[in-house]
Amino acid sequence: MSLDQPNTALDPRCPSGPLAERWTKHLSEIKLVAPANKRKHTIIVVGTGLAGGSAAATLAELGYNVINLCIQDSPRRAHSVAAQGGINAAKNYQNDGDSVWRLFYDTIKGGDFRSRESNVHRLAEVSTEIIDQCVAQGVPFAREYGGTLANRSFGGVQVSRTFYARGQTGQQLLLGCYSGLMRQVDAGRVTLLPRREMLELVLVDGKARGIVARNLITGELERYAGDAVLLATGGYATAYYLSTMAVNSNASAVWRCYKKGAFFGNPSLTQIHPTAVPQLGDYQSKLTLMSESLRNDGRVWVPMQPGDKRRPNDIPEAERDYYLERIYPSFGNLVPRDIASRQALYRVREGKGVGPTGVAVYLDFKEAIGRLGRQVVTDRYGNLFQMYEEIIGDDPYETPMMIYPAPHYTMGGLWVDYNLMSTIPGLHVLGEANFSDHGANRLGASALMQGLADGYFVAPNTVGHYIASVDLPKVGTDHPAFAAAEREVNARVTKLLSIQGNRTVREFWWDIGRVMWDQVGMSRSEAGLKEAIDTIQGLKARFWEDVRVPGSADDFNKSLELAGRVADFFELGELMARDALARRESCGGHFREECQTPEGEALRDDANFAHVAAWEYRGDDTEPARHIEPLDFEFVELKTRSYK
Amino acid sequence: MHFTLRIWRQSGPQAAGRLERYEIDDINPDMSILEMLDLLNEQLTRDGVEPVAFDNDCREGICGTCGLVIDGVAHGKKHLATTCELRMRGFVDGTTITIEPWRAQAFSVVKDLVVDRSPFDRIIAAGGYVSANVGSAPDANEILIPKVDADLAMDAAVCIGCAACVAACPNASASLFTAAKIAQFSYLPQGQTERERRVVRMVEQMDAEGFGDCSNHGECEAVCPKGISITNIGVMRREYVRALTGQLR
Amino acid sequence: MLDLRAAAWSSVGKKLITGLTGLGLVVFVTVHLIGNLTIFMGAEAFNAYSDFLASLLHGWFIVLADLGLVGFFGLHAWSGLSVWQSKRRARSSGYAVSADARGPSRKTASSRSMLYSGIFLGIYVVLHVWHLKFGAEYVTTLHGEEVRDLYRLVVEQFNRPAIALAYALSMLFLGLHLRHGVWSMLQSLGMLNRRLLPTAYGAALILGGLLAIGFLVLPLYVLFFVDPVGTAAAMGGLR
Repeated sequence: MSLDQPNTALDPRCPSGPLAERWTKHLSEIKLVAPANKRKHTIIVVGTGLAGGSAAATLAELGYNVINLCIQDSPRRAHSVAAQGGINAAKNYQNDGDSVWRLFYDTIKGGDFRSRESNVHRLAEVSTEIIDQCVAQGVPFAREYGGTLANRSFGGVQVSRTFYARGQTGQQLLLGCYSGLMRQVDAGRVTLLPRREMLELVLVDGKARGIVARNLITGELERYAGDAVLLATGGYATAYYLSTMAVNSNASAVWRCYKKGAFFGNPSLTQIHPTAVPQLGDYQSKLTLMSESLRNDGRVWVPMQPGDKRRPNDIPEAERDYYLERIYPSFGNLVPRDIASRQALYRVREGKGVGPTGVAVYLDFKEAIGRLGRQVVTDRYGNLFQMYEEIIGDDPYETPMMIYPAPHYTMGGLWVDYNLMSTIPGLHVLGEANFSDHGANRLGASALMQGLADGYFVAPNTVGHYIASVDLPKVGTDHPAFAAAEREVNARVTKLLSIQGNRTVREFWWDIGRVMWDQVGMSRSEAGLKEAIDTIQGLKARFWEDVRVPGSADDFNKSLELAGRVADFFELGELMARDALARRESCGGHFREECQTPEGEALRDDANFAHVAAWEYRGDDTEPARHIEPLDFEFVELKTRSYK
Repeated sequence: MHFTLRIWRQSGPQAAGRLERYEIDDINPDMSILEMLDLLNEQLTRDGVEPVAFDNDCREGICGTCGLVIDGVAHGKKHLATTCELRMRGFVDGTTITIEPWRAQAFSVVKDLVVDRSPFDRIIAAGGYVSANVGSAPDANEILIPKVDADLAMDAAVCIGCAACVAACPNASASLFTAAKIAQFSYLPQGQTERERRVVRMVEQMDAEGFGDCSNHGECEAVCPKGISITNIGVMRREYVRALTGQLR
Repeated sequence: MLDLRAAAWSSVGKKLITGLTGLGLVVFVTVHLIGNLTIFMGAEAFNAYSDFLASLLHGWFIVLADLGLVGFFGLHAWSGLSVWQSKRRARSSGYAVSADARGPSRKTASSRSMLYSGIFLGIYVVLHVWHLKFGAEYVTTLHGEEVRDLYRLVVEQFNRPAIALAYALSMLFLGLHLRHGVWSMLQSLGMLNRRLLPTAYGAALILGGLLAIGFLVLPLYVLFFVDPVGTAAAMGGLR
């Protein structure tokens, strides 16, 4: 199918042939833009995280004109910054049998066989180049005494392929990416526009040709025109209100594109990370992640008796249930994230939850301190213990830590083909914002890898292919499509400010978050999901009648920004529930209570659901349409994940 | 807990600002100071008063977005913490807390407690990078870096760009921020080729932005949430001398 | 690429100048104190020392030293003043509440008052030079040669309580200036690492203190323990 037509048939456009040769073959077959012509093309990149920042810098290096926007005050603050653990790459520096194939297979299997083989193999292939690039930029990865790079094993995989920079891997990678971006800003190749929020996509002749963004300082609406639009706006777990994401993370940019015709892939697939600091009160605005590595030495337990209110150290060994070790004797505390999270939920439902709210489980280091000594535990986890103590005010060396799962990553996102192009010609989606290579569950240390793979190596090539393949007549910001888009934004903003009801935006956000967490969270049922759809629709209606947004539109107005994002969460939340309802199987982070084995384990349905569900917007009053991209597994055999 | 808050309110960069007084009750000691401000803003919104604008994002001390001068100290009196990491249990119940924005001529006030830190981006753009185009990198292990150097580089690289160093400096100098980036690359083999150019251009940009000079007070290190040492400023000066003597060669 | 003149004006360039001139001045002050201690050894030793300096390189040493010192003082004052000026520009409106961050901070009364202690010392130096270098030209005989009797001038002056106390007080400012100045000049020159910095910071307190005390006891010693008339008599009376 031609690249300038909407890809509503969901053609993945994957190359054929041997899996390991597909990306190379694709690179040698795609069209190129001549060096002298590149500067005649403008590319708009929204977002400056690992995916957006690396794409903007790389496209500028190639010679394109790049316009790069972010909602933060500096590109360096994009939420990639928060990743702690590390980044995977199939370097096999440790000589422990790692390979591109093994990383590919681990990712496909970890994703519960709900991702595309071609994409995932490409991801594993370029992973090695990512490390080379980051080192060349001066990213200070951890080193051995001999000067070579250090690796660790992460997230329960059997090889050590994770590169890291103390507990700041995301920060250091983003700073590397940001430095490359700022070099291009200095060279005049990238126009950097911080504190801008994309509020509308502009289509001309069905192709993505620009955006309308709000200047968050002055409130002015600004128009940007280009030949392609790249969205790298991250995930949307803030729809749950409490999550480990930054409080400004949002879905508005992808949502505007969805409503302009981009299909939304697997919206319900969300990763709930098992080791966050639990919520202690309703005032809380954010959940803090504690690195997954804690489960390497900590033991998870709850009291055997429901409602046991004794202090943890007063509960004798015989009355403790080390439930992960009991249920999964071979993996124990190191079971994948989705399983650890779900089991914690079950304990809480059984009334065995701990802490002041009864919504937490213990993570105990007493045995580790006994076995390794306090010093070793401090070396490994000292900073995390300190962070925990800051938040909770308890000393984890003495009292077991309390942890509870938290929404952490969204595998769902805008549907894209092998070229990372959405169903709208010219609209490319990178990083967490696309429906992604992680299938139904993402492995630890793979998010950074995907962001940089998309931005450094994939998009710079495939965007050029698009530009060289389609006819792109010059479009300026005076085109009527821009004025129309701007009117839409204005109408929305005016409406938000005009309601002046009785409830604050945050109250509504809290409400939708509650529904999402209870019914579209770790464990989902048909009845619950149906109820959630009803509740969300009711909340949405009430929001548009009763919200109070203070301030004005032509000013720095955080409440207005938030109102627009929360308004989108209602619609997105509903779609997430619909997607979860339609996917009548359990896979990865998606667990349907109707679909489980007698032992309570996830029951996948490969016969009916080995596909990507991509949702099409058909108007506010019409139900969205669910389309399917079948996933063909030519190279791997579908297996049931078992961690017993 | 109950607090009296004195908060800097300023409607825009040109407007005159003033400290406004607010009373706030029912504060949970486990709340962060930003959550207390959220609560205040809820209260203000219900009362029809415009909420207080303040920057924040990750709320776990890594993005560098938040930053308030609390009772005269950038990021508050607690060491090695960002504003968002401060819990109310660290304050005395019933007291008055004064909250002001970062103050420096180079950082104009956008609104209330929000300032414009774009000068930091321009300092990095002037040379805080290694010119390494995608595709041209050698295998990562071809560049051997002694662990000691890698650790020193990392000690400097932990900067989150929050600008507390500028806010706390009696001279509003950006030396610690600029020096940390220069020092990071000075320790690494990748940083060698552009070494002289980097220090000269970054210092030039830092000066052009209107930051003050450094007087070696060391307040910057004391407020730095990541504990970056002022010895990095010494490295910047060594690098500068190196560039100068290189010029004479 | 790097314009040397522009470099000197840059914030780092200014620190290098402050540090270098500061280092020079600290060396000068230290040597000056050691020389002055000859006053405890009596008139002959002190005058011999001053004559030695005056006749070194056929008198050119003093000229060169004077020129050098004027240059060092001038540059040091200029760079110091310009740091102060930049600070006023860089933070034109201050904080309503300000407090110290403590912890690893090196901010002290000394570091905060460098400008004022510096200005005070500048005024002091002018008066000191006018007072002693260009003071009364008494003459005495040393090993058969006529030399300037600087000892007598010093004793005469320091026997006036107001002068002696003013000198002593000024030396307190010297100590205040050096407490921050001594370690700060090393930091300004990029000579400190994580290990050396705390050592230098401690050493500055000791060196600054010793220099101040050394200079401070001189006028007080003369005021309380040296009799100007007796001295004159011992030296053979007025000529």
